[in-house]
Amino acid sequence: MPLPDRGGPLAGIRILALTKVWAGPYAGKLLAHLGAEVIKVESATNLDEMRAYGGVDRDSAPYFQSINQEILSVQLNMKTAEGLTLLRRMVGQSDVVIDNIRPGAMERSHLGYEELRRIKPDIIQLSIKMWGNDGPLGYQSGYAPSFAALSGLTALVGHEGEVPRGMNIRYGDSSVGACAALAILAALHHRETTGEGQYIDLSAVETMTSLVGDSLFAWSVTGAVPEADGNHHPDMAPHGTYPCANGEWISIAVAIDPEWQALCQTLGAGTLAANPRFATLPDRLSNRHALDAALSAATASQDASHLADRLRHAGVPAFRSQSSLDLCSDDHLWGREGYRMVSDHRNGSRPIIGPSWRMTPDPAKVERGAPLLGEHNDYVYRELLGLSEAELADLAARRVVD
Amino acid sequence: MTGALNGLTLIEIAERPAGEYAAKLLADLGATVIKVERPGGAPTRHMGPCHRGESTLFHYLNTSKQSVVLDLADSADRALLDRMLARADALVDDHDERWGAAHGLTSTAIAAAHPRLVHAIVTPFGQGAPPEWQIARSINVINAGGWAYHSPSETPPDKPPLKGAGRFLSDYEAGIDAATALLASLLRQRRTGQGQFIDISEVQVQVNRTDAVLGRMLAGEAEPGADRGAYDMGGPGTSFPARDGHVFLFMTTQAHWLGLLDLMGQPEWAQSFPDDWLEFHCTRERVAEFRVHFAQWSAGQAKVAVSEAAQKRGVAMVPVNIAADLVCNEQFVHRGFFQTIQHPVFGPVACPTAPYRMSATPIHLTPAPSLPPFGCKTCKSEPA
Repeated sequence: MPLPDRGGPLAGIRILALTKVWAGPYAGKLLAHLGAEVIKVESATNLDEMRAYGGVDRDSAPYFQSINQEILSVQLNMKTAEGLTLLRRMVGQSDVVIDNIRPGAMERSHLGYEELRRIKPDIIQLSIKMWGNDGPLGYQSGYAPSFAALSGLTALVGHEGEVPRGMNIRYGDSSVGACAALAILAALHHRETTGEGQYIDLSAVETMTSLVGDSLFAWSVTGAVPEADGNHHPDMAPHGTYPCANGEWISIAVAIDPEWQALCQTLGAGTLAANPRFATLPDRLSNRHALDAALSAATASQDASHLADRLRHAGVPAFRSQSSLDLCSDDHLWGREGYRMVSDHRNGSRPIIGPSWRMTPDPAKVERGAPLLGEHNDYVYRELLGLSEAELADLAARRVVD
Repeated sequence: MTGALNGLTLIEIAERPAGEYAAKLLADLGATVIKVERPGGAPTRHMGPCHRGESTLFHYLNTSKQSVVLDLADSADRALLDRMLARADALVDDHDERWGAAHGLTSTAIAAAHPRLVHAIVTPFGQGAPPEWQIARSINVINAGGWAYHSPSETPPDKPPLKGAGRFLSDYEAGIDAATALLASLLRQRRTGQGQFIDISEVQVQVNRTDAVLGRMLAGEAEPGADRGAYDMGGPGTSFPARDGHVFLFMTTQAHWLGLLDLMGQPEWAQSFPDDWLEFHCTRERVAEFRVHFAQWSAGQAKVAVSEAAQKRGVAMVPVNIAADLVCNEQFVHRGFFQTIQHPVFGPVACPTAPYRMSATPIHLTPAPSLPPFGCKTCKSEPA
């Protein structure tokens, strides 16, 4: 049965995803949320770990379902020669192949770029590895906090004077996936212009490095080594997060003197406004530790949301530091479809985090939740590869389709 | 030189790092990006750190672009912009709606005048947000989106949430999504001849990056709450001291643990830890005890040598690299991640490129446009 038309800018682009865990699947998700047909190649005997984490049922695994909306699932045992032959036929019908499986695994399965190109001359392949696909450290492996540490990013995140502990341990995989999606789209443009495909070798470490690129560029020019600096900003004071009532925090960023005056007035902090140590931006920067302490004393009894609202209306950039509970109940995000409902095999529907973009006209529909394992076997084997029902049943019986 | 996006022309009227970075990503990939600067130069030309009277930030954010000065409040200059848009493929903006309305650059105005144009606007909270929300700066965005509240992992409740690395982490993340959505829409433009309007929310980019964490809470499969550790994973993974800096150790399996024991030479203190403690007995107390012992050992080790020895034993230990470690790192050198550009003001500069090596269309950076006499007007350093 043909798939429903979802529209969107990438309608008609087919992507074969040999991806696991988070970074690779996240790339697939972004492309699917833009309308691409993303076929995830899976196997019961070589399962994406995300189908196993946090649940017993691989068809309703929380991690997996949180990422893989609008993804198609086809079962295929890559450890069989027949499975690899079928996979090559799928490559022949695809525009892009993404993988983030173990170093060397694609080559061992004869799925290196030169081999893929013999199947489809204009194929685009993108591989994600911690350090990229080759090189002296290419053998090393790690997880998101590992590549953040290697990249130079972790060294820049920490409370002043303390060990740089980096961003939250979850940070990194999704950003890597986002850069992968971007590179694939650039390669699709090159193919449109020239007819040529290409191989894209993506380094997770370098993705993190690129996110601190301005600090590294400045270092290269000035020689000043950037360090973890808490919430310090060289051009703003106050600039930070300040305690509020009930354990909440508020972020405040003041660049110019009128914002400072408005902040003091809103807080009813006449003594702060009158303090000559805080009168001008250079004064506030020079005395920023005293400033942060004085401001913290003034915010400590306030309600974070209410104060932030009053500050914004007074022209002072401020927002509550949002917890997971704050985020889940954020009306603005629900109102913009930043959260939205998709179908769910078990519960009928499921809330998900929607795309960061809205497009008009012709946005891609994002309506179907993550697939059951092998949910699209029929579509892939029968519609795309043209196998008969009996042939597919035979492949399943012999665990080539497993 | 062939770039993947050769042949595409974008006009950039962005004036913040979010939009400028989106356009930089596309310019570095080979698109022709014409940056429109206000008289006196783009605001980021006047943001530090500076060297020889020029902003390093500006010169990082605007590699591979061209630049033209237009006063968009002036009707003749505004008409010139329309002539540029008539010949371009896309427009990148990051101003709020009030600015767009004041300059005739709203989504509806652009769609009516230039139906083929792909038009993207990146703002803190997206179109339609209360106007006073859109004054948010980067630290407000990363706090609104949840990463600050939960960073670093295991931050105690009395320590402030952090802004992330550098000043503009949320801008760069938003720039990636903006560039991605733009390129997708430009593929559609090739097919249909039609433009689209793209509305990117920087806060939503932050939230989207947490899909596997917050998404489970949203669906009721994990408990959301006020806990600063709500995104954490447990386990002993964190930064540890080394003789010459820090290492980051991440361990989740028995194989990791046995590899680490071998690396440390089977220390006596470790005998009280079951081989499978990481999988089945990973209590808070045991993690704390491990960290005390391990930190004492790691403090005597050199960060690169001990990490390489660990990696060869299958242990995911890595050095916490600082800026000075990266440019000469053998893997970065092998991949050519830093490209030396001959900058007209700074001289030779090691400039970060992009994390994707593309076999047919490698990236070649060119310096950002200089605009004499518009050096940084706020910094104290002398012009060259």
